[in-house]
Amino acid sequence: MAVDLLPATKNALALLLLAMADDEFVIGFSDSEWTGIAPILEEDVAISSLAQDELGHAQALYRLLAELVADGRDADNFAYDRPPEGYYHARLLDHPRGDWANTIVRRFLYDTADAVRLEALAASSHQPLAELVAKIRREERYHVMHATTWFERLATADGEPRRRLLQALERMGPDAGTVLSPLPTELALEMAGIADAPFPELERRWRASLAPLFDRLRLPALPPTRDTEHARTAHSDAFRWLHEEFTSVRRLDPEATW
Amino acid sequence: MTDTPPEDRTTTEATDGDGHTLEPWEVFRQEKEGDPMRHGGSVMAPDAQLAVHYAREMYGRRQESVRLWVVRRSDVHELEDQDLLQPPLDRSFKKPGGYVMRDKLAAARERSGQAKPKARSK
Repeated sequence: MAVDLLPATKNALALLLLAMADDEFVIGFSDSEWTGIAPILEEDVAISSLAQDELGHAQALYRLLAELVADGRDADNFAYDRPPEGYYHARLLDHPRGDWANTIVRRFLYDTADAVRLEALAASSHQPLAELVAKIRREERYHVMHATTWFERLATADGEPRRRLLQALERMGPDAGTVLSPLPTELALEMAGIADAPFPELERRWRASLAPLFDRLRLPALPPTRDTEHARTAHSDAFRWLHEEFTSVRRLDPEATW
Repeated sequence: MTDTPPEDRTTTEATDGDGHTLEPWEVFRQEKEGDPMRHGGSVMAPDAQLAVHYAREMYGRRQESVRLWVVRRSDVHELEDQDLLQPPLDRSFKKPGGYVMRDKLAAARERSGQAKPKARSK
């Protein structure tokens, strides 16, 4: 499989897989912090289950990346053995999970953008990616349902819930579009037909899809994405702390099998 | 918009479903297509939409069910009255095999000299 690809295509695809895998890994790990302390028991199970799904997707994407790069590294190497600056997740996910409203807004913004990205990859010219995306989309449907259900509830509950939701939107709005900011290898991706549209078009589609809901809920429209050049680099202190956490077991003994 | 803290939402009293108070929902699950729906347990939820989400989490996230029903517990109507369900007088004649006719019928035919009718086809 890897030998059939042009170096430029392979490079573009690897960067895309890394970006997607890191997105899923970081949000999955971050949301898993709710286990044991979610607002009600049912949501504790729900958020833990969602987080596990994301980690599963990350693992599958890291595996695909490892097969493509074929330099002896496996999924765990990719997931755990990089310094914080080496991670390529969207800046939206550099925000800490915060309170419940913040988590819901972060999930809603991420899952809706990811849905647009996955849809564009469903008929990818790279077969292994298309197959994986088909499976992931089926699980992600539930994620979007859950996030939207809660997003609407918080937005329509006058008082503290709506206030916290608005604050979360204000905090994360300028970074929300980073999930779909074009990668440096955008042109090679387009030429190889990996996605069915350029990423700037995907971001337009995503914003258009949110407009009716934001209108109905009387929410201010999301601002344009801030600093798209550093959409996936220059990570926050909050992420550095998270990195410390999720690599802590690995660093105890990198050779151990758990 | 005010800054007052939210009211306590964890009451378990039955409500008319105002959409904000948690109430119990009974969950029925089906193991495989064709099986009866069996009671699996319950979840707390403020309305049907979240009750369905939670039922999926509690009783379906490990792919153990092919179908789930959720029913607000306050919509379940119960009959428990033992006078109606387990009345004291013998009613075994209502059961299959509770009123055996074959031997009595044979004896009555013999007494009256009638032969047993032949079985008719169709």
